Amino acid sequence: MNYPYPVMYKNVYKYDDMKRAEHMAVRTTVGWYLWTHQLVEVTGPDCAAFLEYIFPKNIGNLAPGRERYTTMLDDRGEIIDDVVVFRMKEKKFWISTLFRMDMFRWFEAHKGSFDVSWTDITPQWEMYAVQGPKSLDMINAMIKNPVDNMKFFEIRANEIDGVSVYINRAGYTGEKLGFEIYFPKTEAPAMEEKLRELAKTFDGREVTEFQVMAWTLPCEAGFFYMRDLRHTNPFEVGLEGGINWEKDFIGKEALLKVREEGPAREVVGFTVADADIHIKGRNMGNEGEFVYKDGEYVGRCMKICYSFVKDTNNGTIICRKDSLKPGDKVTMHGHEAVICAPKFI
Amino acid sequence: MSKKIDPRIPKEVGSGLYPVKSPWDKMISYHDAAHYVQRYTNVVSAAIMQAFRMLVPDYVERSKAMCTNAYNRLSYVYQMIPGYPEMNADELHMHPFMRGNFVGGLIGDAGDEDLLMCGRVNDFGTYRAEKELDICYWDLVGSELCRSTTQSLQACADHAAKLRPEGPHIEYHMVEARGCGDRHCRIVAECRKKFPMPPHEQWECFGPVATENQIKFTKEEDCIDESMMFREETDYLFSNGTNMEKDWRSAYPMVTRSYGATYILPTLDDLIREGRLTDEQVDYAIHCLCEAAGKATFIDDFAKEGLRVWLGAPHEISKDDGRLMGGYLEMFLQSLHAAYEIEAFNGEECIYAIDRAALANNMPKMVDAYLWFWYGMTKSLVNAQWSLWEEDSPEGKLRIKIAKKVDKFC
Repeated sequence: MNYPYPVMYKNVYKYDDMKRAEHMAVRTTVGWYLWTHQLVEVTGPDCAAFLEYIFPKNIGNLAPGRERYTTMLDDRGEIIDDVVVFRMKEKKFWISTLFRMDMFRWFEAHKGSFDVSWTDITPQWEMYAVQGPKSLDMINAMIKNPVDNMKFFEIRANEIDGVSVYINRAGYTGEKLGFEIYFPKTEAPAMEEKLRELAKTFDGREVTEFQVMAWTLPCEAGFFYMRDLRHTNPFEVGLEGGINWEKDFIGKEALLKVREEGPAREVVGFTVADADIHIKGRNMGNEGEFVYKDGEYVGRCMKICYSFVKDTNNGTIICRKDSLKPGDKVTMHGHEAVICAPKFI
Repeated sequence: MSKKIDPRIPKEVGSGLYPVKSPWDKMISYHDAAHYVQRYTNVVSAAIMQAFRMLVPDYVERSKAMCTNAYNRLSYVYQMIPGYPEMNADELHMHPFMRGNFVGGLIGDAGDEDLLMCGRVNDFGTYRAEKELDICYWDLVGSELCRSTTQSLQACADHAAKLRPEGPHIEYHMVEARGCGDRHCRIVAECRKKFPMPPHEQWECFGPVATENQIKFTKEEDCIDESMMFREETDYLFSNGTNMEKDWRSAYPMVTRSYGATYILPTLDDLIREGRLTDEQVDYAIHCLCEAAGKATFIDDFAKEGLRVWLGAPHEISKDDGRLMGGYLEMFLQSLHAAYEIEAFNGEECIYAIDRAALANNMPKMVDAYLWFWYGMTKSLVNAQWSLWEEDSPEGKLRIKIAKKVDKFC
């Protein structure tokens, strides 16, 4: 091998104490971090009807203060975004996305005669995630009105040191207890200082590593990152639940065909016992490592990261439907992987 | 001379039309043109680098000058073009929660793809990132260039970070470089607070890094030679880790705008401004090196035969016909998307008026480099009786003539 150093592929997660500590703080105490997404405000007399048409899940039946996770599909039924839609008021919705420019183009293309408008309110709002078993206590220690009785996917106005904020019970970590604080961007330095100090009293810490907040924590919980979903349809990735087939929505026709014929692919989970590996996952932006079972090509590696709870390499594969089942052994770039459900905790 | 244009197919080539076609109807694809123009401009760049080496013999001095220029030049782009950083952040899907300058990895990754420098991201995190390239058309220019490209990426990353919440700073470091004979180019970026290294200067962001045992080295048999936008297994789409996608159309205009000389010539301008070199010295060195490089291109008969195949030139065009040189230039100019007009195309002379700005790419000396390169080439491709020179250029054009010429001082 023409390389000046010993090739070790030393695991970038397993031996990294910082990543481990940040990840495990969320699982055992509390972790807080900047988690601002792009925020789109949708208003107008037809805003609910418009969003009903844009998204396959029900939007119009959301009560103010409640929210829903949904995909956004193109005409072929492929997922082009996955978002959380909040109903802030009867005629005011917020959409949390990471691809607002694409969303604006899509909205514009489908506005038709709907009396609706949308605005990018990202510059006004910062958002911190506070996640983990002690997150409720930490949030309650900050805010004016305790949030003990909040339901999952509920957002409520509150106050922190006289500043109006929204507390949202939600998260991207799979923790039973997790909150998000929306507050004016101008308050970010003070808010961050407060979170930093308060976390110490709960034995918590700040999550600073992108890989932990976007990959290791969500992957353990079976959550997708939009890159994982690109060029898939909801049936292939298990997100077909909750679709309202009674209404008209973009992509419905194509998706009905998939429902009738059955999806061609599905997502499975895997673990790799080898500690130090070189496996390409699409989460880095590439074709994804080819997956072979008994020498036959069955799919691609969708995501490769690490479960600090299980202490093993983990990830997801998108494969031919019914080609892999839990317990199967496959190879990826020479490494053996064992198939499991795409949820690890 | 008649200035007549012999029957040729298609007569209108050169108006910037796609695809690339030779005067004899030989067509090359968008894909091949993109590869060709990158290879070509970097061969000319390699000659310009040799001029630089003659002018500034000290390796360290050259490297420092290029690294400084690369960082400052890219900083200028971010600082002076209104809206550019914001557009860049949106286009590459830098998420609002991403802190610090590791987002530079997204910039480098997408830029590599456009420049056909295919490879893979092996790590992308707040404190460490790693990108491995299997192909780089800049690899024949010189290792000083490899060093300076790292600094242009550093500048992009640092300026992109200014739009973002404060966060860790990572240092972009080139561990392997194809320009040095390594299998790959490999950039590893590390946060020095997390991965300390002994202090070093800017030009020394090159060689071993703190996390060398984390490097993911791809073996020869697993290497690729095309960007994602030209590969079936990626559905002919480039994608990055933050869900940005683009197709083959993104190769242009990048392949025409970025090459080795875009790092070398601005550095030479710096040295002239600083009084360390004069305009005359630089022009003379570029003239000598580019003429020699051009002459070396067609020294062998098989190179001429290869060119005839490339152009689809019929046998009635003899081996001593200036139209071969003309056809050759037209293929390049079209691949470069440089518009040109044909004033004459016959067995006695070829005359072209070429868009000077497209050739210059904001570097006036690039036009001189091409001119001397093509002059030298004409001497070996056609024969020494023939020449190529600039004559009566109208405003904004480079008007060149290919014909026989006696010059007792050539």
